[in-house]
Amino acid sequence: MRGLSLILGLMFLALAPIAGGEPVHAKHAQVELLSLETKARPDAKLLVGVHFVLEKGWHIYWINPGDSGQSPSFQWQLPEGFSAGSIEWPRPERMQSSSELTDYGYHDEVLLMVPIHAAQGIAPDGQALGFSVDAKWLICREICLPDHARLQGSWSVGGARKASPETVVLFARAKKLLPQPLPPGWAARVESRQDTFVLNLDGSVTGGRPQFFPLEPGQVENAAAQPVETTAHGLKITLKKSDLLLKPISVLRGVLVFAGGEAYQVEAPVMAAKGIK
Amino acid sequence: MKSLRNLLLGIGLPLALVAAALAAKVGEPAPNFTAVDSNGKSQTLSAYKGKYVVLEWHNQGCPYTRKHYESGNMQRLQKQWTAKGVVWLTVISSAPGTQGYVTPTQENQYLQQMNAMPTAVLMDPGGTLGHLYAAKTTPHMYIIDPSGVLIYNGAIDDHPTSDVADIASSKNYVSNALTEALAGKPVADPATQPYGCSVKYQH
Repeated sequence: MRGLSLILGLMFLALAPIAGGEPVHAKHAQVELLSLETKARPDAKLLVGVHFVLEKGWHIYWINPGDSGQSPSFQWQLPEGFSAGSIEWPRPERMQSSSELTDYGYHDEVLLMVPIHAAQGIAPDGQALGFSVDAKWLICREICLPDHARLQGSWSVGGARKASPETVVLFARAKKLLPQPLPPGWAARVESRQDTFVLNLDGSVTGGRPQFFPLEPGQVENAAAQPVETTAHGLKITLKKSDLLLKPISVLRGVLVFAGGEAYQVEAPVMAAKGIK
Repeated sequence: MKSLRNLLLGIGLPLALVAAALAAKVGEPAPNFTAVDSNGKSQTLSAYKGKYVVLEWHNQGCPYTRKHYESGNMQRLQKQWTAKGVVWLTVISSAPGTQGYVTPTQENQYLQQMNAMPTAVLMDPGGTLGHLYAAKTTPHMYIIDPSGVLIYNGAIDDHPTSDVADIASSKNYVSNALTEALAGKPVADPATQPYGCSVKYQH
């Protein structure tokens, strides 16, 4: 009887379709590979994510880390014919450490989701498809520590198990934190002045005070205040240009995060302000 | 510039904003400074007029600084360029009690142990020099030309990681800028995004 339950237990383990299984105890963080889908179907989009639970006071970084730090990077080992997309970055937080230093990243907990495209033809039913990711990241409080881990996961092909309710909730919450396209009727444009970019957001803009997070480094002075004023058409945010910006840019890309938590993708054409060359 | 400073101070803008407005900008005269080095000697930027000057922000505990010291990369650059008459000033702006803060004696021991060869190491625990240049990371590199104009502001190279293995395939912006400038050519990449740990300023 004991032998049978052991065998059953082992079978269960072998078939356990939940990616990762065990969180990795890393420096001041627990890191785990999660999979929203536990079953791989041919040609399907599967969502996986690396879940970071950080000790209090520690943070990791956004795609643009800001003035210091480094964004996490993932290298995937996938079954043949599968391919990984880019990290879907939740809206960042602003972390100001001194008058001239501001970083962008995440405290407490974050799920960095990555879409995986399954192969057209995959192994027959019943076989588990293993995959793994080599994750590298920098974790900082006052000091910074580089860290890395290889995280394992697997999809079943024929099984019917579902991801745990906790995992489903984590993915749902992470999706809500992804910046969305601007709502219909809203438009962003930028006037380039001598030392500032004036980001105009036209439309019936709501959501409280917005903050702009530049996607590209070296365009906007991260630590500078971002004064917001209402205009006849909506609102405008004044962004100080970075000292590192020596050439004009034609598009300013970034994320606008409102006080209420809504986050929008911005890709605003940049025009020279009248009277400024 | 002076009148702008007076104007800004006159209307009572916060000092930090004034400092940011006057920060080192490529193509403009580099702000002059006087600081005490790890041997207790006074170092003034303007005294090096006629020479190229490299400023290297440093924190010996930072993984990104360690990448370039434990590999010997930074020492190689220091040796190579000071041999050609370039002045290399390492700057430590870590406040007391923060990572990278060292006494002059500790710093001189470190230099010996690492075979580091800067012209001098400027002790800046109050962060005055760091704030003057708006230094953000360790490392953060600046190059000033013989006429006192800033010709480079940014990263040491194009691999913003702490992995020693990346150095071999990196494009070293500082070496390239000095090579170009010494050959009388314009610097191809005069401003890049510095990378590393934040400078551990006094709060």
